[in-house]
Amino acid sequence: MKTIRLLPHRYKTIGWIILIPSVIIGAIALTGVAASSNMSINGHTFAFISGGILEDNAYFSVIRTDLLATILGVLVTTGSLLVAFSREKQEDEYIASLRLSSFQWAVLVSYTILLLCFLTIFGLPFLTAMAFNMFTVILLFIIRFNYLLYKSKHSDYEK
Amino acid sequence: MKNNIRVERAILEMTQEQLAEKAGVSRQTIHAIEKGKYVPSAILALKIARIFKKPVEQIFSLEEHDS
Repeated sequence: MKTIRLLPHRYKTIGWIILIPSVIIGAIALTGVAASSNMSINGHTFAFISGGILEDNAYFSVIRTDLLATILGVLVTTGSLLVAFSREKQEDEYIASLRLSSFQWAVLVSYTILLLCFLTIFGLPFLTAMAFNMFTVILLFIIRFNYLLYKSKHSDYEK
Repeated sequence: MKNNIRVERAILEMTQEQLAEKAGVSRQTIHAIEKGKYVPSAILALKIARIFKKPVEQIFSLEEHDS
């Protein structure tokens, strides 16, 4: 079965180190609990497209904006990709089949959640839900795949 | 599909771990095959049969519902 080549196993650990703190901070920042609505990292960056509620869109210009979402988004995405696309210590055909079924499961569950969001969340909170939903496919895959691996490693085994 | 891997292992007093190592796969794979949770590829089936020095049909056989 031809699939994408995976990164060496050590990238999985690097991925976890990036992913776990970023996901926690990201979830806190997104839901705005505690004082996190005051968290912001202002700076200049080059934007292909930018704009605001009261201003027209600007194209291909340097702007000054809150980069917290940008940084967290990049970290969570990179971390999850590293975790999801790194080899296990021993990759074989069975583990490859677990990977494939985990991806199918994650896509299905993620879009089911999306459907529920459309039917039950409205207005500005819907945008927050969509921000979470951007990551549910890859995060669900990571959870499902590692769960299946854990289950198969620790199932009753015979000598 | 059913298989006699566990029987053949017992005859040679081989553990799942040892068989896995000889076949170049993880122990989980052998365990999953024995439990009927995973159908091995043709290559892996042939490797396992070769380890047991038996023809592949003596280790693996089709069942009714495999149609």
